[in-house]
Amino acid sequence: MWDFISERGDIIAYNALQHANLVLQAVFVATIVAVGIAVLVDRFQFLDPVANTVSAIGLTIPSFALVGLLLPLTMIGALTAFICVAFYATLPILRNAVVGFAQVDKTLIESARGMGMSDLGVLLRVRLPLAWPVIHAGVRTSVQMSMGIAAIAAYVLGPGLGGYIFTGLTQAGGVNAVNYALVGTVGIVLVALVADLLMLLLGRVTISKGIRA
Amino acid sequence: MADTSTTAPAQPAEDELAPKGSGRVITREMTLMLVVPPALVAAVFGAFVWWRQTADLDSVEAQQLRWSELRRLGVEHVQLTVVAALIVVAVAVPLGVLLTRGRFRAAAPVVIGIANAGQAAPSVGLIVLLFLWLDGGFWTAIWALSLYGILPVLRNTIVGIQGVDPTLLEAGRGLGMTNLATLGKVELPLAVPVIMSGVRTALVLIAGTASLACFIDAGGLGEVLQTGITLFRFSLMVTGAVLIALIALLIEWLGRVLELATRPKGI
Repeated sequence: MWDFISERGDIIAYNALQHANLVLQAVFVATIVAVGIAVLVDRFQFLDPVANTVSAIGLTIPSFALVGLLLPLTMIGALTAFICVAFYATLPILRNAVVGFAQVDKTLIESARGMGMSDLGVLLRVRLPLAWPVIHAGVRTSVQMSMGIAAIAAYVLGPGLGGYIFTGLTQAGGVNAVNYALVGTVGIVLVALVADLLMLLLGRVTISKGIRA
Repeated sequence: MADTSTTAPAQPAEDELAPKGSGRVITREMTLMLVVPPALVAAVFGAFVWWRQTADLDSVEAQQLRWSELRRLGVEHVQLTVVAALIVVAVAVPLGVLLTRGRFRAAAPVVIGIANAGQAAPSVGLIVLLFLWLDGGFWTAIWALSLYGILPVLRNTIVGIQGVDPTLLEAGRGLGMTNLATLGKVELPLAVPVIMSGVRTALVLIAGTASLACFIDAGGLGEVLQTGITLFRFSLMVTGAVLIALIALLIEWLGRVLELATRPKGI
């Protein structure tokens, strides 16, 4: 096991970075999309149950099924993996962003308006910072969830550590099969752990001081 | 997929809200989730049947998409999900109850911590490792699926029982109930809504992960999709994907119905 890792250290580290990279990029895009949709939902209240239903239904659809639905459109490779991960990453963030915006005290928005802030100013300087702790919690959930989804997306040659798991599967019976599968699985758990710590740190840095717990 | 740790890990926000939201009120979202998925499933399945009957398929596709074959795989898929879910409930609920009793209480955070860490492991990884260890087949898949589905039920059982108002326990004891009686007549009934919400989460996780059982020769509808990807036939891919998604939606819906049906009167 140890020999297996030390012989391939560089490439394993590269794949671990690729895995983290795929997830973080997808979650980044997902956050922007989800917050954008949540702003719309906040403006048009009737969309609220629709957004929640869509996100609940979306989370029910297995990721392997989404891979199958995407393949005819985006073909085998990293793009399919990216869209798949980003789709699932959006849903928990959307759910939390809708709740987060709804929780913002209406009187604060009134006072911001009274001070002469524009709609955009109110959004960027009042609503978003106040809703951010809840949105950030959604982003954290999303990162963890996406780690496993990226592993499945490796079946269609998405980047990252998931490929090792499938190599282990195809080499079943071979000397290194278990090593491959272990490196893939444990590697993803470790990447997820590090990513979660980074997300905690991001929370410390980005959550506005006045409302920090 | 609600995979997802992930996945699962999929619906943490909802889980956490469940204890508070277990009132009699049925929210608009609950109504929508009871009505929309079955309608969606019926519409998409209808469209699929129409396409299957009219589409021009070559011999490979026709062979793979025989109705008898699809039915066999669908039944396998449901069997995998149901057997794993039953095992999960049979193991996780008693274990959760035990972890709220007397001296085992101290172990609860440890067990939850281990289960949480396990949940971070990707479902494919778990399935493949168990395959390499135990060899393929139905029961290996059941092992993987049950392991993967245990956390939400275990966590919700513990949270649900701990969430029971201690004054109600006092009242039960005051009426002369034994420990077993307070557990059976007070704690468990009050915890049922929370436990059932965990069961639904577990069902979604298991149904999604069952689509990966095809990798280890345990069948299920993932086989159609896998064959489709291997032979690169869009018709097979889309059929597999759509059927997997429909079954997952149906099972989630069933979980919601169960949740409503098992909710004790008066809560």
